[in-house]
Amino acid sequence: MMPTEEKQPILSIRNLNIWYGDKQILRDLSFEVHQRQVTAFIGPTNCGKSTLVRCLNRLNDFTPNFRFTGDILFKGTLLGASTDTTALRKQIGMVFRKPTLFRCSTYENVAYGARISGINRSEPLDAIVEKNLRKIGLWDEVENILDETPAQLSTGQQQLLCVARALVVEPEVLIFDEPCGELDPIETVKIERLVRDLADDYTLIFATNKRRQAARVSDVAGFLYSGELVEFGATERLFTNPQDNRTEQYVTGRLG
Amino acid sequence: MNAMTTRAERKQKVVLQSIAFIILGVAFIFLWHTLKNARAPSGQPASEAILRSALPSLFNNLYSVLSISLLAILFGIAFAFYLEEWLPVTNWIRRLIESLVAILTGIPSLAYGILAILIFFSYADTLKEAVEAFPFPENIGTIPAQIETTVFYAEALTFILMVMPLTIKTTQEALRSVATPIREAAYALGASQWQVLTRHVVPIAFIRMLAGGCRAMSRAFATAALLIGIYTGYYTTDAGGMSGRFLLFLGVALVLSVFSSSLTEVYDSDLA
Repeated sequence: MMPTEEKQPILSIRNLNIWYGDKQILRDLSFEVHQRQVTAFIGPTNCGKSTLVRCLNRLNDFTPNFRFTGDILFKGTLLGASTDTTALRKQIGMVFRKPTLFRCSTYENVAYGARISGINRSEPLDAIVEKNLRKIGLWDEVENILDETPAQLSTGQQQLLCVARALVVEPEVLIFDEPCGELDPIETVKIERLVRDLADDYTLIFATNKRRQAARVSDVAGFLYSGELVEFGATERLFTNPQDNRTEQYVTGRLG
Repeated sequence: MNAMTTRAERKQKVVLQSIAFIILGVAFIFLWHTLKNARAPSGQPASEAILRSALPSLFNNLYSVLSISLLAILFGIAFAFYLEEWLPVTNWIRRLIESLVAILTGIPSLAYGILAILIFFSYADTLKEAVEAFPFPENIGTIPAQIETTVFYAEALTFILMVMPLTIKTTQEALRSVATPIREAAYALGASQWQVLTRHVVPIAFIRMLAGGCRAMSRAFATAALLIGIYTGYYTTDAGGMSGRFLLFLGVALVLSVFSSSLTEVYDSDLA
């Protein structure tokens, strides 16, 4: 599934620099994310992957001493101080490293996104919850325990629930920030398969420090190394014919 | 108290409690001795005079503790919310207030009582004039006629200064106890700041905020105890000059403050 035509990118980042206080985290990043593709960012721990993806839905706004220069354009609109971040985050969803479920029932967790948008009647809510749980393939497993706390589910199931919860908001872009960091291999496979399936309907951004995982799930990949976007391009080319020496060392396992 | 309490800690507690009871006993003896011999300025026995003036002063203090500390707790909570949720950590107002709060919460309640006597009560009349000159709206409520307003304003200032910082601190700690991932997850789903506050932060932090309020109020009671002592001693009797008056004051203050600081300790150990 390669980028076919020259379509307008859904996200474009130009000359992005990020600082936490005096420490520069990201240096002069420029890249574009196209619709209905999986864009992966790989790189060793602390290379700035999370900072980068959290920038896209403006979650970094809550980090003290955070500042950035450069342009982030979402569907051609520049994200600035006057951007409605609440509306933006409804369009750009996010799944975190740890499953962060709320302290309420499985049903309420999934229905959360609909409730905050003002849907409170039970019939549409039931339909939304069922539709999204079926989409991620968890419906059969949780159908009978919807009213119980999700704490009894396995970590992988909880992570899938988080994906379902994010899908309820009907985002266009979904960010995965190391979603398999806490999961065992079998659960990881499930998430990876889900990511591939979702790529038909959503634009996905996937941060990971496992290079093989990025090779399996992504269409386009970028290699971040100490705050620099060393290389960015089609996954196949990046892994088979890297242009930069450091990328080659990383994908072959000699760096990081 | 939990099962983790060690033997040594329990032993320590018993010793401390015994000391407290001994102090309490001595204080009672002081009181009894003074009351037995003292005479009020009017010539009647001090014990009768105390009933006539200690009770009103007790009522005065209860009224001001309850009303002022409730108000101060509400304002403190609102203020803590503003500091913690709206102002960034780097904001200089937030830094200034947080360091002030750190200083003020460290002062023992007894010291507040002394502060109250030395400063606020010395200028109580000026304070009263200032407050009454302030154009409050007519309909925000009145102080009952039985309350001695001069005292009330001075006490109010003391309690506000004491209760507000503690409430701000405990509320901030309660808010910080709400895990960041939970907040971020809600924000990432497109929840507004208000929705995050009402759906996640307040339900999780509520119990801690309540405990903080109780703690602040029990602290206010501790100082009120001291003030009751002062008033009873001051207005009731000449009790053989200054020394008698001092003994009486000391007695009442000790009894009440031992009582209320044991209250504080209960809150500190069990709830906070």
